[in-house]
Amino acid sequence: MVRKLGLFVLTLWAAVTLNFLLPRLMPGSPTDAAIAKLAQNGPVSAATRAAIEAQLGVPGGNLWEQYVTYLHQVVTLDFGVSYTFFPQSVGELIWQAFPYTIILLGIVTIVAFILGTLIGVLAAWRRNTWLDALPTLTGTFASTFPYFWTALLLLFFAGYVLHWFPTSGAFGPTASPAFTWDFIVDVAYHAVLPALTILVTSLGGWIIGMRNAMINTLGDDYVTFAEANGLRGRTVAVKYAARNAILPNLTGFGLALGGVVGGSILVEQVFGYPGIGFLLFNAVIGQDYPLMQALFLLITVSVLVANFLVDILYGVLDPRTRR
Amino acid sequence: MTHTTHERTQVRRRRRLGAAAMIAAAALLVSGCSIQIKSEPDPSIPADTMLLASDKGTPMLERNFNPYLVNKRSASSYIYEPLVIINVLDGKETPWLAEQVDLPDARTIDYTIREGATWSDGEDFTPEDVKFTFDLIKQYPTLDQKGAWQHIDTVEVKGQHVIMHLLDDDAPAADIVSQTLIVPEHIWKDVKSPDTWRNPNPVGTGPYVLGNYTSQQYTMDKNETYWQADKIEVNHLVIPAATGELDIVTKGFDWAYSFLSNVEGTWGAANDHNKFWFPPGGVIGLVPNMDVAPFDNVDVRRGIALALDRDKIADAATEGYLGAAGQSSLMLPNQEDELDPTLPNQGMITQDTAGALEAFAAAGYTQQDGKLVDAAGKQFSFSITTANGYADWLRAVQEVRKELGALGIDVQIKQPQPPGYQQAIQSGTFEVAMGGMGNGIMFQGFNNSFNSEFAKPLGETTSSNFGRYRNPQMDALLAQYKATTDEATRLGLSHQMQQIVYSDFPVIGMYYGGLWGLYNDKKFTGWPDADNPYAPLQTYDQTPLLVFTHLKLRKDGE
Repeated sequence: MVRKLGLFVLTLWAAVTLNFLLPRLMPGSPTDAAIAKLAQNGPVSAATRAAIEAQLGVPGGNLWEQYVTYLHQVVTLDFGVSYTFFPQSVGELIWQAFPYTIILLGIVTIVAFILGTLIGVLAAWRRNTWLDALPTLTGTFASTFPYFWTALLLLFFAGYVLHWFPTSGAFGPTASPAFTWDFIVDVAYHAVLPALTILVTSLGGWIIGMRNAMINTLGDDYVTFAEANGLRGRTVAVKYAARNAILPNLTGFGLALGGVVGGSILVEQVFGYPGIGFLLFNAVIGQDYPLMQALFLLITVSVLVANFLVDILYGVLDPRTRR
Repeated sequence: MTHTTHERTQVRRRRRLGAAAMIAAAALLVSGCSIQIKSEPDPSIPADTMLLASDKGTPMLERNFNPYLVNKRSASSYIYEPLVIINVLDGKETPWLAEQVDLPDARTIDYTIREGATWSDGEDFTPEDVKFTFDLIKQYPTLDQKGAWQHIDTVEVKGQHVIMHLLDDDAPAADIVSQTLIVPEHIWKDVKSPDTWRNPNPVGTGPYVLGNYTSQQYTMDKNETYWQADKIEVNHLVIPAATGELDIVTKGFDWAYSFLSNVEGTWGAANDHNKFWFPPGGVIGLVPNMDVAPFDNVDVRRGIALALDRDKIADAATEGYLGAAGQSSLMLPNQEDELDPTLPNQGMITQDTAGALEAFAAAGYTQQDGKLVDAAGKQFSFSITTANGYADWLRAVQEVRKELGALGIDVQIKQPQPPGYQQAIQSGTFEVAMGGMGNGIMFQGFNNSFNSEFAKPLGETTSSNFGRYRNPQMDALLAQYKATTDEATRLGLSHQMQQIVYSDFPVIGMYYGGLWGLYNDKKFTGWPDADNPYAPLQTYDQTPLLVFTHLKLRKDGE
């Protein structure tokens, strides 16, 4: 356990340090990014540049000094003011975007995992029937679509042509966030297309992963033995085969849950969804170091924590790993 | 915009599946092509209300109406007004909060402040508000976005006059100082940190006041006490955050500003009343780096200039919506009055391959086996730096590469992300870059692009004159221009500067960059266009005020 914890801390430090270095290896500075944005509307004078630089308060000092400041910020969880969204603070921005991403992606990821795994079990158990062919074929087919392509397709047909669903935003233009039934319905309505995109593109992976693992375990001696003992088909499928076959999918689920926090950049981008992914996209484009670093840290920590939890769950399901 | 794709590739896919996918994709394509997207205006929007795509959400809108902050809501420039509005198309000035601007000498600006204007909360607008504003942006330099205090020494109020004493002979500074947005003293004097204040309930002198605000859309209502209230016929503005290209085409906007590919087939086809006007807003050209050989050689620059077919480049870059630009650094026809009549062919340089080869020969380059080589037999080869994602620039560079390639020059294209591009041009780490010269305000255009004051050594950052052009003659002309307030003298100096740009090629002009105005004239008339170019159709900065005061409600039967 101590060794595990040590490894956790070391990984965290490495991630945090990379997190600091990578954005600074990009050419151009946050001021350059702000000016590039303004320069598209016409030449930017020297005075404007100076004003923007002062406004953003871009950190001075050499790399080492910046690193020390940065570590201090990480420890105190104070990430300062965002460059791209100045004068909003990083904390404020993340706090605004977090719920949308967690609700949209969290629910979709869990639904896709559960649904995909169940269908996978069913497909393997009834293999070579239509119950196998249909989900496997459509799953394979759908999961090969690039994410953003599916998103654009849904956006175009269900949004712009058929007008079934809104095309952007997390809620209607005149609604304001409040904990009311109307608002929740509005948010759910706006989440349909992005959710569907993620469901369509991720479901196939779960189905196929589970089905293939299932088929392997079904060929194992202990399953044959259980069947020979005359146990009920469902018992064999769920308690004997599926329990073991789910292990690889569970690892994937841990990673996917960790990834939820990072949002889904492309889907949020296409649907103008105000989540963490969109925020991250803007942060990177704007070379918004404070925002980028806070977001990457959030993602890193959540992936590490999710993996840790899966590790524990793994131990419950597979006693061999418990030591 | 860049897209990183996480495409899951599955190498061995069943053939059957592949075929099915092809059929499905083909079906989608065919059906997609036959679908005509129509704009469908929201029927609940009344006739005196404008749907305006001026504020792109990111993706939410932050309630920030501080007119001096980078991330302000764009409508803050419909609330706060400047002393003078300058039409960026031709530099023409319209007195605004100042009734009159006089330059008694080259280091004094005398503003006669308008009487009778009020703030939207009912208080009177006074010359003291003007002085307060300038004192404020002096105290907080981060608010001084136009850099007024780089020119002003002191500000003095005399009755209805606000008099600026400048640091130096600096008559063109008036164009910069006049653009400062004026804020009310009675509100802003109590603000603790105006440099981060979000000003959620703005009070201004402008034609509109903030109506309903949500983070995905806000509305503006006519300011009934506006000093030109009789000229404002658009009573409400609706400004949603969703203004992507598809939104602009489909949601029935009355006014938008965006380059759309194939604008007739998209915007134009969506609604009979959809119109567009793309006037030139700048000269796009090649910026040779004078501190890098051989671009310090005027023969090389002339050779490149003569080798280019500007019509083809303009067509490639702007889909034919804008034309080739000349070498005068001016935007024609906007700035026709400014043009030196002695420039041959209005300053337009046409492709002359023989002339180009002659110029290159003078610089020591000759053709050999289809390649242009120097004395040592090495091919003339250089890179052009452009910004990733600026599609029009890239298409222009590709055409340039083709045309120079035909002469045997090897051109590479470098395209860093926009911040990287900014860094490259500012620090001079490029050979030739895409960039522009000139703008509607003649002196600012020339001064920014060609004043050697900005020509920092390579590696040092500069915000102007990226080509590091140094010409004492040009500097002298710019200095004389600053010291005079006489229009005729100014014009003469301008002509001399055009001659230098025409023969020395500090920037090689290629085509006009456009201002991408889209409008719908079903509900409102009086939009600016080629026949009445009183303002560009840009929805940001101060010129929208000109548009709002010109628009009329369409009457029945019109």
